[in-house]
Amino acid sequence: MSPLSLRGHFSLVWRTVPILLLAICFLAAAPRGRPKVFIKKLKNNHYQLIVEHKPYIIKGVCYNPIPISQNYEYDWWSDPNKPWIVDGKLMKDMGINTIRLYQVDGDSDAVKRVIRDLYKNYGIRTILGSWLGFWEYPCPFYGDKKFQNKVKKEVLEMVSLYKDEPGVLMWVLGNENNYSCLGTVNPWSSDEIDKEPDPQKQKAMRAKIYYSFVNDLTREIHKIDSDHPVALGNGELVGLEFANKYARDVDLVACIIYRGKTFGNLFRSLKLTFDKPILVSEFGADCYDAYLKKEDQNMQAFFLESQWRQIYENLAGNKDGAGNCLGGTIFEWTDEWWKHDQSNPDSWSVHDTTSNWSNGSYYFDIKAEGNKNMNEEWFGIVALSQDLEQGINKRVPRKAYYVVREFWKKPILNNKRNKK
Amino acid sequence: MNRFRIWLIWPLAIAGNLAIGNWLFSSAYAKDTEELGKCICENKVKAEADNCLDKLKQSYWQDNKYSEFVDLLRNLHPENKSIVPSLSYYIALSRYQQFKYLEETKGWDEYFAKGNDYRNDIVKETGKSLEATALDDPLRIYSRLLIYQFHKDQQDTFTEGALSDLMSSTLEYAKAIGQKAMVGPQIAQANKDTEPIKEVADKLLSYDEKAKAKELYKIYAKGLVNSDIKDGALKDKAAGFYKDGNLELAQDIYDVYIERISKVLPKDKLISELAGIASAFSYQDSGFKDMFYAEKIFQKIEEIGGLEAFNEELIYLRGFNLEKNKEYRQAKDIYLLLIQKYPESKHIDEVTYKTGLIFTYILRDAKAGREYFDKLADKEGDNPYALSSLYQMGLLKQWEADFATAKGYYNKLIEKSERKVTDTFQMAQDRLKEIAEGTSMEHNLKTFMDTSLKEEFVNLDMSKVDLKSNIYQPKVDQAVDISSSTNLSSSGCFNVELQYLWSCDLGDAKPGVNQPEFKTTYKNQGTKIIGLVLISPSGITERSLDLIDAR
Repeated sequence: MSPLSLRGHFSLVWRTVPILLLAICFLAAAPRGRPKVFIKKLKNNHYQLIVEHKPYIIKGVCYNPIPISQNYEYDWWSDPNKPWIVDGKLMKDMGINTIRLYQVDGDSDAVKRVIRDLYKNYGIRTILGSWLGFWEYPCPFYGDKKFQNKVKKEVLEMVSLYKDEPGVLMWVLGNENNYSCLGTVNPWSSDEIDKEPDPQKQKAMRAKIYYSFVNDLTREIHKIDSDHPVALGNGELVGLEFANKYARDVDLVACIIYRGKTFGNLFRSLKLTFDKPILVSEFGADCYDAYLKKEDQNMQAFFLESQWRQIYENLAGNKDGAGNCLGGTIFEWTDEWWKHDQSNPDSWSVHDTTSNWSNGSYYFDIKAEGNKNMNEEWFGIVALSQDLEQGINKRVPRKAYYVVREFWKKPILNNKRNKK
Repeated sequence: MNRFRIWLIWPLAIAGNLAIGNWLFSSAYAKDTEELGKCICENKVKAEADNCLDKLKQSYWQDNKYSEFVDLLRNLHPENKSIVPSLSYYIALSRYQQFKYLEETKGWDEYFAKGNDYRNDIVKETGKSLEATALDDPLRIYSRLLIYQFHKDQQDTFTEGALSDLMSSTLEYAKAIGQKAMVGPQIAQANKDTEPIKEVADKLLSYDEKAKAKELYKIYAKGLVNSDIKDGALKDKAAGFYKDGNLELAQDIYDVYIERISKVLPKDKLISELAGIASAFSYQDSGFKDMFYAEKIFQKIEEIGGLEAFNEELIYLRGFNLEKNKEYRQAKDIYLLLIQKYPESKHIDEVTYKTGLIFTYILRDAKAGREYFDKLADKEGDNPYALSSLYQMGLLKQWEADFATAKGYYNKLIEKSERKVTDTFQMAQDRLKEIAEGTSMEHNLKTFMDTSLKEEFVNLDMSKVDLKSNIYQPKVDQAVDISSSTNLSSSGCFNVELQYLWSCDLGDAKPGVNQPEFKTTYKNQGTKIIGLVLISPSGITERSLDLIDAR
């Protein structure tokens, strides 16, 4: 090799190496693409859900299409009549863009088929949740590492199985599990808690354990799936002062709220307690007047329209609202006839009108006997008929279906402040 | 030109209205409407035109013809332009009323079809009214009040802002009319001008905005004081508001009155006046009461004259008022004062017994409680407090498993009661039977005793359950409704099954564990103790008690 050619070779290397280095540096420094779904904090501290580069308002329903005469054990995912196809069409016509599933069990291929069908055919995305073992008998032992590990395994399996489904929107951990920390619902304890005589301290200890566990789960999910936010499911805002200490890694809260006409000071209170965006993941009204003992679709429509108005008032960009709401998922799509008397199969074929809880915020029928005005089997915005159509109970949209559809088309908020 | 336009439009407005609803065909009705319409359009005096407007509103509202009224108002073009903001306000007010009417009567088709238009009218028309009114114009604060009520009823996000605007406007108004009163000789007019402030305060009170209402009542009361109203008239004003049930305002005016008389009246007369006010607000089964305010006045008496200023009746009244306000510790101190100062008082047995109960079941000091029961136990005859004290002493001994001593007290009770069947007699019989049969004390009662006296239940502070009786001084055999309300941690959609363990002096009732309330009567006079232990799925959750005096 002549010195000249050597020089030429050196010259080539001299020219090529920096380009290569630059390319390597560029590739290393280039930001990874934005997650498919993420929450953006705006300059005014409002929160906005971004899905595939576009702002997304969650206009959703809780979905559990149990047919008449079946109960919660029914595997609707594998129903050959595919109820979600009929439902998806109706949902799309109404303007629904999201369904919420409380927990997915059983055949993962069947679950994927539902998620894909809804997404591909109707553009409807799915929120997947987990009860976090809340219904384990005798109670959820959140203070027990073995129990925690079992739940963790189930949750991470769910995330691994479905995270690559294009229709998945986010994960919700738990539902109203926080009430168990207060000791009145599904109460659980541990040796350490039992040693503490002060009930208030006991509650604080339980909350610390529970919210730390949810935080731990969130971190684990983030490690394997950076494309979808993780929500903390919570009954009301109860206990969120503890979440603020122990569950800082969750991306948002998904609250279950039944406050009647609206949500009161919910959004601002959340901002002060635990400044995270919120999905109102369960709200609505039943359509049975327990006082007059008859169906009242208008009553349900009245509450739902008013609730949606407040959800819209508190979305990002509305300067008079809290700007932390991402949308809501109405409870629920169809009635569930099995709910009132779960242990009696005969009653699953009867649309039961007996109420077993009271809520004064739903004031039209609060004068019902014993003030019990909430009818668990009548929350659907779509009624089920005993007649079959395409192999499933015929769907009959209620007034709320149409009223909310119209509101979504033209959301009017009446928020002009008179400045003078 | 202007006049011509009015005359042209006015019949058209009426005709349009006729076309909208055939109800106007009633000729008398139409005539009234026409006259009032003319009055609004042609009157040069705003107050008179406003008056006509209000009359017109009444005639339409009585038939719930809100839309027709709004259509009519929109077609009115008054000569006097100062009427225009009133028209806007009445349009908004009618829409607000219409909204309420539709909700109440479930006029849902119209509600859903026109709701947004009506909401828009309320916001837009109040906006117009606000644009056109000065700071000292009452219409301005009425408009603010309306927009606040609208948002409050909607329970929407804008309620807070609307309340803040309402308060600012009302304070600006108060300032403006205050300045007007200072410069002009129109004191009487200034007093009249303060009425809108009171109306706003009344409305805020009805919406449970107590602090804000109080702030405005103070301004209203100050307005009265700044005028030349005499002390006697001021007192009458306060008494008038008390009679009307507006206790907040009555208290504000009494406060001003007290401030005034404190400077002029001699001590004894001042104390006598204060005692009268305190008595009016103290606990009573019927009539208006505010036990906190009564105690505030009692404290004022104490500040002025010391405890010596209290006579026997006033001490008893103060103690009883505190007791009914569930301020048991303070009540016990006042009862002790009565025992010390007036050992011969007609109330002595009652307050001694109650002191024993408070020591035992509130302060968890059975030893101290026994001392007071012991003082009564030896009283002659079938004195109800003596019998009840013997029962309490027996009960405490039975709970301590000293059955022989307990039996002695119960037997003494039966002997003293001369076998007259009373509530206390019956309970003593029940306890003796338990001892004789070697069974444990009745479960509810034992649980109540345990939770009241055992150290491990010291955390139960009676805060999670409140007991209430519809009357606290029933006559013998008069029905009494006793109810409990719980203040437990929220549980969302979960229905928490609670158990109610009622015990002690339940009269002739035997309420079950699922009953949060019951009705009873008592056979004999005396102080009755109602005990309750609340059980939730996590176990014993709270205890509480209440005292009822059968007279």
